[in-house]
Amino acid sequence: MPIPVTIADDSMMSRKAVRRALPADWDIEITEATNGKQALAAVEAGKAEVLFLDLTMPELDGFGVLRYLHEHHAKTIVIVISADIQPEAKKLVDSLGAFRFLHKPLNPEQLSQVLFDVGLI
Amino acid sequence: MNNALGDEQRDALQELMNISMGQAANSLARLIEAKITLSIPKISSVTPSEFVAMLSSEGMWHTRQSFLGSVKGEVVSLQSRLGCEAIAELMEYQLPLSDTTREELLLELSNILAGACLSGFAEQLALTAKLSMPTVFDPEKLSPDHYRWANTLSMEVEFKIESSQFDSKIVICLEEDSISTLLNRLNSLLE
Repeated sequence: MPIPVTIADDSMMSRKAVRRALPADWDIEITEATNGKQALAAVEAGKAEVLFLDLTMPELDGFGVLRYLHEHHAKTIVIVISADIQPEAKKLVDSLGAFRFLHKPLNPEQLSQVLFDVGLI
Repeated sequence: MNNALGDEQRDALQELMNISMGQAANSLARLIEAKITLSIPKISSVTPSEFVAMLSSEGMWHTRQSFLGSVKGEVVSLQSRLGCEAIAELMEYQLPLSDTTREELLLELSNILAGACLSGFAEQLALTAKLSMPTVFDPEKLSPDHYRWANTLSMEVEFKIESSQFDSKIVICLEEDSISTLLNRLNSLLE
């Protein structure tokens, strides 16, 4: 059965960049979200076993999404992909239980390594 | 001009600026050990008089650098006068600032922020843009006639430090001839 994966980013180019970086032979079903609320809706609907999450988004930002998931002990594996790469952002993301913090522009090899580390591929 | 930039291209440009300013903010944040708040990049089409008007905000110090390469243009940075001492202190300058040390500070900030913004941007688009040394200037003395273009693209980003009056704007202005080069690269990223 394909793994449900959600890509949450308000930029279409960045959602595309994530799609492109995913291993071609990985059996997944992709949902796209353009803000934090949509990302949480995807989690609630069981469409996000893995969530690729941007931090700066309208409505609800990535920190808000992480906080909600953290408080609700969600089992979603969150991989943050962010343009804001300041130490402060990384610290907060780590404390909210994200699995990894990747920098934009996304490096496809780095992403594959992360998926391998978590045992997804 | 506005019509030439479609929704997808605007989205891409905005995201490229987001990434570049994230890199610029990270270099400054590590230097001063403070968190920097980033604005959403503003992308607009401007005429020389609009560009000059954009720069003539009071209470700011200005520096400019031109860049040359596969794209050409100018980067202007605006630093709030009130926030200068605060950032100078974080950067371990001796206070109060003299005219000379203030100029040094402005040029250093310009190099860190404008330099990183432009190089991040150019790198992602595989463009070359070599920056000249920054100089301090007075926008009052700037005339729209100085510019050889009629209409061009400007990208504006803002950096702030909460709890301090530090406020810095970076405006990248491309020459008219460089726009088609930029659009071509954007399109190949979007394919």
